[in-house]
Amino acid sequence: MKNKIKVYRAMQDLTQEDLAQAIGVTRQTILAIEKGKYVPSLDLAFRISRYFKVNIEEVFFYEDGE
Amino acid sequence: MKKNIFYLTIGVVAVVLLAIFWYSVENFTPLFFTVAFVAGVILLYLAYRRVEDFVEDERSARITEKAAMRTLQVFWVCFCAFSILAVMNLIDMPRLSRAFWLNRGTAVVAPEVLPLRLIGYFQLALLCLMIFLYVGFRIYYARKFGDWETDEE
Repeated sequence: MKNKIKVYRAMQDLTQEDLAQAIGVTRQTILAIEKGKYVPSLDLAFRISRYFKVNIEEVFFYEDGE
Repeated sequence: MKKNIFYLTIGVVAVVLLAIFWYSVENFTPLFFTVAFVAGVILLYLAYRRVEDFVEDERSARITEKAAMRTLQVFWVCFCAFSILAVMNLIDMPRLSRAFWLNRGTAVVAPEVLPLRLIGYFQLALLCLMIFLYVGFRIYYARKFGDWETDEE
């Protein structure tokens, strides 16, 4: 599972800490998701995409062969 | 309650428990220490519930869950093996001793009983094993789920 959290963060000029606080997780969790070390639950994925006001598929996507 | 105050509480409880342990050994009142230990753990649990600045999200919950599950998977084998050995010793089963079979089951052989004190030491060793397993698995899964990842930020 890949994601564009870093891109959306950059677009909104947010730090990992800002995003983490806004959605109620630790900065380390945001970092782990961005680096692909941790796949978030559906609930957290929705919270992140809703925070950026976009559909979940625009932030998270599944690449063929994974 | 702040996180640092909770850590201070752990320190105070540990020192008090150490003092009670010393008192129990000196006066041979092991039950006193047992009760104090349980009370200390309950006190720490109640204090933990009052901490406000702990952020426990789904990733840390998953790390804890995975580490606990793997620890249980390995530990139950060791614990089961030791428990069977201890029970066999406690209920004196001479038929399972080596000497009994060497005498082709004819001689009356005293059972090879494991001293009760040794069983206690083994139990302590198992407790240490459980702690080591949990810490090891926790480090492994924390690493796997990106706990020590660094970023440009």
